[in-house]
This record gives sequence, structure tokens and C-alpha cells, in this order.
Amino acid sequence: MIGLSQIVFFVLLLLSGFVIGSVAERRHRKSIIKRELQFNALPAIASRRPAEDRPYAQMLVTGSVVIGSDYFKTFLSGLINLFGGRVTPYESLIDRARREATLRMKEQASQLNASYVFNVKFETMRIAAGRVPALEVLAYGTALVATDQHA
Amino acid sequence: MVTYENRQPQEDINVTQRHPLKSFAIYAVSALVLVVVLVVIMQFAGGFLAKRVPFSVETRVMDAIGIELGDADASPEMKRYLNELAARLIEHMPLPDDMSVIIHYDDEDVFNAFATLGGNLMFYKGLLSTLPHENALAMVMAHEIAHVLHRDPAVGLGGGVASMLVLAGLTGNAGTGPASSVLSSAGVLTGAQFTRRMEISADEAAVSALGGLYGHTAGADALFRAIAEQRQKSGGRGIEDGADVFERFLATHPIDADRIRAIVETSESLGIPTSGETTPLPAAFKSWL
Repeated sequence: MIGLSQIVFFVLLLLSGFVIGSVAERRHRKSIIKRELQFNALPAIASRRPAEDRPYAQMLVTGSVVIGSDYFKTFLSGLINLFGGRVTPYESLIDRARREATLRMKEQASQLNASYVFNVKFETMRIAAGRVPALEVLAYGTALVATDQHA
Repeated sequence: MVTYENRQPQEDINVTQRHPLKSFAIYAVSALVLVVVLVVIMQFAGGFLAKRVPFSVETRVMDAIGIELGDADASPEMKRYLNELAARLIEHMPLPDDMSVIIHYDDEDVFNAFATLGGNLMFYKGLLSTLPHENALAMVMAHEIAHVLHRDPAVGLGGGVASMLVLAGLTGNAGTGPASSVLSSAGVLTGAQFTRRMEISADEAAVSALGGLYGHTAGADALFRAIAEQRQKSGGRGIEDGADVFERFLATHPIDADRIRAIVETSESLGIPTSGETTPLPAAFKSWL
């Protein structure tokens, strides 16, 4: 039989998921935008043809992030799955994961003194099969490091 | 020369700018309405069909299943007395000719009695030992016989199975995650509204039978007072404290205080006196337990 305590527990879980999830999301987004503005000087390009304006050494750079959902998002997505339509709660989750992975890739490239990252690709994988899912986003590309540093 | 640059993306392209609480409100209400409507339809449909199954099929199904109800070796005197009381009550209940009732007894300390398919009624020692007089026992028994008369075990099973099938179909797919248990609970609660209605109408039929047998309904509320006392002993609310809206909504049975009030109201509407001499249980009753 369903007791009042179970209902209260469920509402608390939902509420804490929403409040903590929203605060964490807002903070993460703020930090992403701040770092993106810094790293825009190091362009990540999807093109497979690398820049040829000067000689470059090429090396693989990767950035990956594992990001978890919260109870509220997972619950709401479950409800949306009943009817279909855009699963909006996960949109921001995946958007942040992709941008964070790109930033981590750029950070690696920046440590190599790269000028660009070319042929950027993404891979997404759901890694937690539990009730509250988590996903990994991997961004990788070819960093171009100028070999004529004085040019 | 080609230039390469990264610009800040616009925030509202990949992420729909809709407040999550707004989505939650829309989808939660829609999902609840869907579950409630489906369960109500299934309860009605399952119950409607189950009621059309002849009573003899119920008996045959129970025989085929071969579940041993009660303790075969437990007190034959108690079984004889219970069946004899049932026969007296049935004289005042409109049981069709093809319907019969068998009372089983078990000397386990369980505070319960129930009616199941095929007119089988089960009484436990734990419940019988708390009853102060025959009127209280007759109320419980008439209530359970009324369930048989109304075909409630079959209707409950038919409606319940149909609802569970729909709920399993709805929440069993991999996509609903933690929402599935909440939706299932919503379905179970919707079903509970049906069982509560069965309990109320079984109480009404029992009051009428008691009026026929004893000429009054005094002592009919003794069981519900005993339930409240047991609950209070284990730290719950007392009978006078009143249940809140939540408790009423979540319970499978009506709240005992409401049932006591309903006994008086039904008695008055049927013109049955609520006071009178209660009939004692047989002197050897305690030794039969």
C-alpha cells in the first residue's frame, strides 16, 4: 500500500533534484561560457582539410566528460517518453556535455601551443544503465601546432 | 586566405527555452489523466465482463486451482459454528440459488477475514479472538457474504488484472524510468477507489442482514472500534481523531470512523433500530479458537 511517507519522499527527491540540478546547471553553463570566450582564439574546426598557411605538426587531442542527469530531469523525461516529442530536459544536459568536452579538448590543444584543432568529431555514449542515467561525450580532433614558431 | 574562427553560439538554438516546471506540469497532469482514465475504463470493463461469468465457473476455477483454504485440522467446532451462523445470515440476504458460501477457519494469529472466488470465506483466529459478541462477528460475516453476493472477488480480479495489463503496457517500456513506479502507484490508487466503493456497499448489505437476523444493528461497529484500538495501541491515531484527506484517499477500505457513522445512517434509512440486546458468543467459543 502507498503510504504518505513514500509520497513525501518522492516529492523531496523531485524537489531536491530540481533545485540542486538547476543551480548546478546554471553554474556549469556560466563557467562554460566564460571559458569558451577565452578559448575562441583557438578555433575548433570540423573541416577535414587542415590549414596550409604555414607548416604544422599534427597531433590527436581529446576531451571527454561524463555528465549525470538528476532525478527531476530523469522523471520528467520518463513522462515525456509516454507521449513523445522533444525531450527538453536532456537537451541542456547534452548541450553542456558537448561544449564541456570541446573545451577540454581545446585545453589540451592549448597546452600543446596549437593554433587550431581540425577534423573535430563527437561521440556520445550512455554509460550508466541505472535509473538516473549519465552520459559520456568525447570530442576529438587533430591539433595543428606550428613548427615555425618564429614565423 | 581562409580564416578560421569560433564564435559564441546562441544559447537558445540547441536548448529549448521552456521552463522545466511548465513542462513538468503539462506532462505530469497529462500522464496522470491518461493512467486514471485507462484504469477506470479497465476496471469497469474487467468488472463488467467478470460479472457475466457464471458463479459456477468461479467454483470450478477454485477447485481446479486446488488451494487449501484454512487449516483442515483446525477446530471443527469453530467451523461448524461459523457455517451455521452464515446459514442464519443468508436467510436474510438475497443470495441466488446457484450461489453458496463456505466458511474456512485458520488458527493463525492474523487480524483478517476475507472473501475469495467461489463463495469461499476465510476467518482467522487473530480477528475472531477480538470480537466481543456474536453481533460483531455477524457484521464481519455478512459483509464478506455481501462481497460474494455482489461478485466482488471476481469483479476485483477482472478489473484488477485488466488494469495491471494496461499499466504494465504503459510503464513497462524502457523509456519511462523512475516515472513508471509513480504511474503504477497512481493506477493502484485509482483501483483503490473502486475497492472502497465495494466495501461501502458490502457494509450496507451487512447492516440490512443484521437487521433481519437480530432486529437491530447494536454491536455491528465493534470490529471497527477494535481496529481503531489496535491502531492506537501501535501509536496511530484514535477513532475520534479523524482521518485526513490523504489517509482517506490512500486507503483501500473506508476509514473506520466513517464506517461506524455509515452503519448508523444505513440503519436509520432502512428503519432498523441501532440499539438492542447483543447476542453473546457461544460459551465455548474461546476454547474453539
